[in-house]
Amino acid sequence: MTATTDTCLLAAAAITVVVPLVGSAAMAMGFRRGSPRGFAVAVAAVSLLASLAITLFWSRSDSASMAFGAPLGGGTFVCIDGITAVLLPYVALVELAILLVAPRRSLEQSAVTRILFGAAATYALFLTSHPLVLVVLWCATALPTWISVRGTPGGRTAARVFAIAMAAATVCMAIGSVLLLVDPPWAVAGGSESVSGGSASLSGGWFGAAGGWLVAVSVMIRKGIFPFHSWYPALFSGATMSTALAATMPQVASYTAVRLLIGHADHPEGVAAELVVLSQLALVTAAYGAALAIVQRDLRSLIGTLAMSQSALVLGGLAGTLPMELNGAFCVWISSGLALTGIGLVSWALESRAGPIRLDSPQGRFWDAPELAAFFLLFGLAGIGLPGTLSFVADDLIVSGSLDEQLHAGMLVILANVFAGIAMMGGWFHVFGGPVVPDGPRHAILPRERGALTALLATLFLLGLWPGPLVRALDRATGRLLGVPGRIAVAPESVRPESFGPESVGRGAAAGLQDLPPGR
Amino acid sequence: MTSHDIVSLLVVCQLAAPAATLLLVGVPTLLGRPPSERATSRIVGGGFATGFAAGLATLVVLAARSFRPEIVHLGSWFSVGHHEATIELVADALSVPFVCFSTGLCALVNAFAGKYLHREPGFTRFFLLLAVFGTGMNLMVLAGSIDVLFAGWELLGISSTLLIGFFLERGNAVRAAMRAFATYRVCDVGLLAAAVVVHRAVGSGDFERLFSGSWPNGTCLVPATTATIVSLLLVFATLGKSAQVPFSGWLPEAMEGPTPSSAIFYGALSIHAGAYVLLRCEPLLEQAPLARLALIMIGLGTALHANVVGRVQTDLKSMLAYASMTQAGLIFAEIGLGWRVIPLVHVVSHAILRSLQILRSPSALHDRHELEAALGGHPGADRWSVGRWLPESVQVRLYRIALDRGFDQVLVGRLFTSPFLRLLEFAAALERRWLALLGGGANDRGRRP
Repeated sequence: MTATTDTCLLAAAAITVVVPLVGSAAMAMGFRRGSPRGFAVAVAAVSLLASLAITLFWSRSDSASMAFGAPLGGGTFVCIDGITAVLLPYVALVELAILLVAPRRSLEQSAVTRILFGAAATYALFLTSHPLVLVVLWCATALPTWISVRGTPGGRTAARVFAIAMAAATVCMAIGSVLLLVDPPWAVAGGSESVSGGSASLSGGWFGAAGGWLVAVSVMIRKGIFPFHSWYPALFSGATMSTALAATMPQVASYTAVRLLIGHADHPEGVAAELVVLSQLALVTAAYGAALAIVQRDLRSLIGTLAMSQSALVLGGLAGTLPMELNGAFCVWISSGLALTGIGLVSWALESRAGPIRLDSPQGRFWDAPELAAFFLLFGLAGIGLPGTLSFVADDLIVSGSLDEQLHAGMLVILANVFAGIAMMGGWFHVFGGPVVPDGPRHAILPRERGALTALLATLFLLGLWPGPLVRALDRATGRLLGVPGRIAVAPESVRPESFGPESVGRGAAAGLQDLPPGR
Repeated sequence: MTSHDIVSLLVVCQLAAPAATLLLVGVPTLLGRPPSERATSRIVGGGFATGFAAGLATLVVLAARSFRPEIVHLGSWFSVGHHEATIELVADALSVPFVCFSTGLCALVNAFAGKYLHREPGFTRFFLLLAVFGTGMNLMVLAGSIDVLFAGWELLGISSTLLIGFFLERGNAVRAAMRAFATYRVCDVGLLAAAVVVHRAVGSGDFERLFSGSWPNGTCLVPATTATIVSLLLVFATLGKSAQVPFSGWLPEAMEGPTPSSAIFYGALSIHAGAYVLLRCEPLLEQAPLARLALIMIGLGTALHANVVGRVQTDLKSMLAYASMTQAGLIFAEIGLGWRVIPLVHVVSHAILRSLQILRSPSALHDRHELEAALGGHPGADRWSVGRWLPESVQVRLYRIALDRGFDQVLVGRLFTSPFLRLLEFAAALERRWLALLGGGANDRGRRP
């Protein structure tokens, strides 16, 4: 890693975050030059380009990860590794697509301010591994969502449920992080007493264990894992689609789990207890959510429950112990996120033209909007494992990985997959099937909508047809997560880093540990 | 250029030709500039014709080499740890004749549909789905690994579902499509699980690690237990697409789709996809007597059921659907008996006859009138000779059972589908109550997107 690359990475990271932040501030202060959409799209496009630059620089570097700033609690202020390099452009693409497709009335000045601020906070979150910064950014990402839902007509229930969930999650996260800092399992310098039988033993105290559990509970709440899942579909039903998508598709809780929990999975049994519980509940939620989606009565609830299911599936895979499972989870993260964003945007475009869409009976919308129907179908298929799309690869990896690990986990993943497929196709047939309304309105797709949806779809197909580069990048990242247990305790004295530099990340990536065999 | 290179090129061409038509028609349509009717049918037809010609050329090359199988490695799709998905195709005495047969049939149906669906609002959609089907079929037939086979299998299911529900304005078509899709999805679990078991057993999904030798004289390379598990999973997977009992209820309803697609899917190719997969994995079945017994019982049971039920159908397409089901059942039983060439011949001959019958079905009345005019009166009524030997009470009972389509679908509905849906409705109602409680009973009327 050269100093030039470091500088370029830092510069790109700064642009990714600062540009939308400044854009948001400018909007809040009444900046008016062109339409709010044009301004917001330009800002989001800059962030997307900067995030792609991060991916490019990272892929050209030799090191698996880079950290900037003083380490604290196993994390650093700025952390760029394979996970950041892969997920940041995905988040930026989702934000850009939302801004392009959003109906004009949803993009007034205050809404754009909130969207850009939320985007900046999300980008910043994906660039850090510092526990305290993560706590602050959790609040920063939830705040615009809550303000937006509260201001949406008919969104009071959703706002209240969202507020309860986020408050509980943030409190748990804050206390958990502090406890982890007070009694950090990763910072316990271990001599011979912490190494037994070739694997690390737990050497943290009660505070550390309680901290881990609290962070796990906060992740469960923020991800809508059963029994804390109610806010997820409620948000889709009560908020504008842009708010719901921007709040859920990046999956900030999954990222937090990766940073704070996955790397700490150095339990003698293989996996820390909180991760086992998290994984099992997540897989149950994935199957339950997908099954529940089959009987939803309106399109937004359908999308909400499916999003809940897919989000849980990601966490279920992330809490696994095999590279295949983790890789599959990251692929599901991206593929389901892009597909559900596409479906959400198409349904939003339909709703903005013809009102809310019920699923009690076939609505016959195909003849009104055949192009939107085609996009909905393609995104739906791309979300349920259509060969040639990224979801096919993702399903293959996560099913194989989970079946390899535990039979019941694999069966839950398969059930989630089967139910999600039935729900998705049922949704399509209910929305677009049905009697034709004679001389009814015809809703043509707008060029900006077509452009955004085509870009999302093209990404899904390109990554599905040539998954090699993505899977290799994820392999590097998951290799670090699994091959390097979080505790420096397991490192022999000779290789324990004295200081953290650009070549190392505090937790789990200490120099010299990369070559350790998978030990979880 | 060696013969291997030539075969590789031709095999890729068989696969790429229908896939390219998807791009040529699909991308402009998605961008809002669909090609004209004539251009659409010519492009898709051209893809099938190219695939057919490449298939024939491959057949000639293979025949010159005594049908020695040729494995075409197209590289690794992706790999994580020990899990590697390879793109591997196989050209042998089973796959290449089947590709010629399927692409040839697709080309003929394409030509028929160009006229039959003239000015139909979903003209382009039909041809796009036909191209998806052709691509999926060739992918499945040429698959040299279970991963590739699964990809083709999925494309078949999706295109089939969308063609059953082609007439979206008809409620019956939409219901039939959903039912077919649900059946496919449940049965696909078998293939998915089989793929995982194969990967775990031999480290990759390549068939050459499962069995060796040229078809039909392959030899199983895995232990009997693995072969039995994989075979049972494959048998389960094939029940859905081949409409075998108890997953047969969707087939008569699937005739809601356009006639050309009914002909090629449920008379010719899709319904025999399961038989093809079983023939491809025959060496595994050889080592799995349990799976073979299951095949024989399911096949004969389906044949008997479909034969009895089909006799009382009052519309031609339903009758033909049950006739297809009967033959598919017999083919399953033949495969279970360990025969290899006879089921293949049965598949091809039945597919040709049945697709012709289905394509002619819209003209049945006209044909009947012509026949009556030629005979100078009504032709003699068909009689069920075997049935006449049964006691009258049994005949009446059989008649009632047949009228209700054997009650099997009623049973599946009562025992599985309805309780499951009721349970989900109950859970959804609880969720709504819980949400209302959490939300403090806020009045959310008047929401706008």
